[in-house]
Amino acid sequence: MLTVWCPDWPVVAWGVPLDEPSVVVSANRVIATSPAARTEGIAVGQRRRDAQGRCPEVAVLDRDTDREARVFEPVAAALEAFTPRIELVGPGMVSFPTLGPSRFFGGDEELADLAFDAVGTVLGERGEVRVGIADGSFAAYLAARSVSAQLQPRIVAPGQSAGFLAPITIQTLERSDLVDVLGRLGLQTLGAFASLSAADVVGRFGREGQLAHRLASGVDEHTPDLRKPGEDLSVTWLFEPAADRIDRCAFAAKALAEELHATLSANGLACVRVAIEAETENGECHVRLWRHEGALSAAALAERARWQLDGWLQMAASASKPKKIDQEARKGTDQNDEVARSNGPTAGITRLSLIPDEVVAASGRQLGFWGGRAERADEVTRAVARLQTLLGPEAIQVPERRGGRGAAEQISLIPAAAVDLGETRIATEVGWVKEPWPGQLPLPVPSRVWSDPQEVQLLDAIDSPIGVSGRGELTSNPAMVCLDLTPHATRRRRSHVVAWAGPWPADERWWDNDSHRRRARLQLELDDGSAHVVVIEHGVWWLEATF
Amino acid sequence: MDHRTAALGQPLARPELDPELLAKIQPVTLSRDRLIDVPDLLVPLFPDGGIQRGWSLGLDGHGSWGVAMALLASGLGQEGWVAIVGLPTFNLAAAAQYGLRLDRVLLVDEPGPGRLATVLATLLEAVDIVVLSPQNRVGARDARRLVGRAREQESILFHLDGGATWPTKLNLSLSTSIVGWEGLGQGHGHLRSRQVRVQAQGRRGSSQKVSVDVLLPDSKGKLASVEPVKFAQVESPHPTDPIAIHSLVAEIEGGRVRAS
Repeated sequence: MLTVWCPDWPVVAWGVPLDEPSVVVSANRVIATSPAARTEGIAVGQRRRDAQGRCPEVAVLDRDTDREARVFEPVAAALEAFTPRIELVGPGMVSFPTLGPSRFFGGDEELADLAFDAVGTVLGERGEVRVGIADGSFAAYLAARSVSAQLQPRIVAPGQSAGFLAPITIQTLERSDLVDVLGRLGLQTLGAFASLSAADVVGRFGREGQLAHRLASGVDEHTPDLRKPGEDLSVTWLFEPAADRIDRCAFAAKALAEELHATLSANGLACVRVAIEAETENGECHVRLWRHEGALSAAALAERARWQLDGWLQMAASASKPKKIDQEARKGTDQNDEVARSNGPTAGITRLSLIPDEVVAASGRQLGFWGGRAERADEVTRAVARLQTLLGPEAIQVPERRGGRGAAEQISLIPAAAVDLGETRIATEVGWVKEPWPGQLPLPVPSRVWSDPQEVQLLDAIDSPIGVSGRGELTSNPAMVCLDLTPHATRRRRSHVVAWAGPWPADERWWDNDSHRRRARLQLELDDGSAHVVVIEHGVWWLEATF
Repeated sequence: MDHRTAALGQPLARPELDPELLAKIQPVTLSRDRLIDVPDLLVPLFPDGGIQRGWSLGLDGHGSWGVAMALLASGLGQEGWVAIVGLPTFNLAAAAQYGLRLDRVLLVDEPGPGRLATVLATLLEAVDIVVLSPQNRVGARDARRLVGRAREQESILFHLDGGATWPTKLNLSLSTSIVGWEGLGQGHGHLRSRQVRVQAQGRRGSSQKVSVDVLLPDSKGKLASVEPVKFAQVESPHPTDPIAIHSLVAEIEGGRVRAS
């Protein structure tokens, strides 16, 4: 393994000259220092005030991990010239296996020199580079750390890693609890620890001890992850100045969509799911995933981006009306913050990205000659997508058949986004439910099923309520029913029962305590000609369906 | 010369084209040619023999939901799409019995306050028929715009429960009344079929009201004619002609005698 280590990376990332004293602090503790600061007596782990006490002119910088990673990116890119399989250990350190590259570049020394030069050119005067080669990445890291002031790469010959590690202090394992115990056991060097038998170490220290033992023996903790990284196909548009009108966003979206589409088709791919991400000047981010079974065309992508941004910007417009601010204001929280989070953006859009989330091999699509089925389904799919931005992804539903006894149970509704509207869906076809449902009410099916059933009163000729006995028989003959079909009615209308039949009992899922339901259904014909299905459960009658 | 006169006198024979293709490449279609099919039994209700694309149709009365389902099933056929807006009680299992294809149905149960007009406009562009109920209120301006959109996109609006709150005039209203149920007794039998009378009233030809009696649904959950058919024929040809009535009555009675 070859490891490139840039010492004091948190400081280097800030771009301050190394000959000026500066420290990076996090949680009031120094986590990195510049060499100049070290000569002043500042050490990692000191409190900020201590550091400032030792060197009053020290520049104190806050830790910014994003920046560290971002600034390190060119370094990683420079090393990718040697091998595609580099492993970023963290900002400031990168390693890669040397087996192939050394053979290609003529040996470990040459490779180490090349890596040193490449990173050195990228960093220039900003920071130092140390390069080490050893059997494992831990040993290579220690080799890079042990590089002396003349900055010659340190190369440990193959098979010599254990010997190289043996005299090094056990503190380098960076496992403070374990190192503390080992130190008290008299094991001060990695070699002393490595000479213990692996079985004993596992027996005493468990998995953590085993990992540490592997490191001390010069074997890697785990083999490096060498999968080829998936190519980043996402495209981004930066707005300068920020865009606050939909037409500018739509224009950018169109260009982006075409760019993405070109990249994808160059790779022989088609996108079936795409994430569209927009960010405003104030840092609000709006991401939505769009899915399309039949692969998204460039126009379809652009359209979706426009809808999403349109919806988002419109939310901002409606949120600016004062009536929207109600409960948050009463609770005393920050109004603007609340509105921003629950509604639209508070500033113009600065960044728009299309990120292909799921790609498939492009197989091409054939459209009908005279418009035809595919085009129609496309139109409907577009309308559905448009409505989803407006009402939310669950608001548009499509039916599927399902078995059941009650009228309400024979159709289930699923979100339209979950199906491909252009394909035949077998769950909607007549033969989908094959199993018989004994106890199902005979045909015809009622035309209305009450989604929130209202309670009804079923009375006999002398106005006393009717129930169903344990044997599934009515306690009396129904003569009168109180119900009202208009919602929120205060007074119920009494209607005479002209004819009736039933009850049809249904004792469902008796094997499961939670979903067990015991019901009985009754068909009623009333004096106004209407006919209904009422159902009794726990002694209460409900209006289930109306013909 | 002979050759030429022959060529002039006889127009060149055009190649035979598929009539369906001809209909598609025809440059202009009149609105009354753009009809969607209705069930044969309900044809007398419609002045043009079908529902014109772009129309607003009101359906009113007990049993009107069944009429809507029967019209949807025949009107959409194999390819048409329907969107059902704000009607969570619409039972698609019954609509499927009438023959509606369930994979051509979109449901928007809650269009959301203030969004209805946008939702309807979007749907009218994509689907053939949009069904909505009077609980969904739309302002007069939006309604006019939506009707215009429907006409332009050649899609149809169905107003269940008569479109009572719809601000613009409807092209045709069908009101349904229940004649009677068959099959249900005092604690025995089950609901088998329902005879309804559907009456049409429209802006055009509104002087005469047309009505038909049908079974809706019949014992299989479909639309069917009322039996025996002969009773329907009595009224139609010359209802004032006593001889015709006499002969018909005699015929029917004869039939009954023979049957018994």
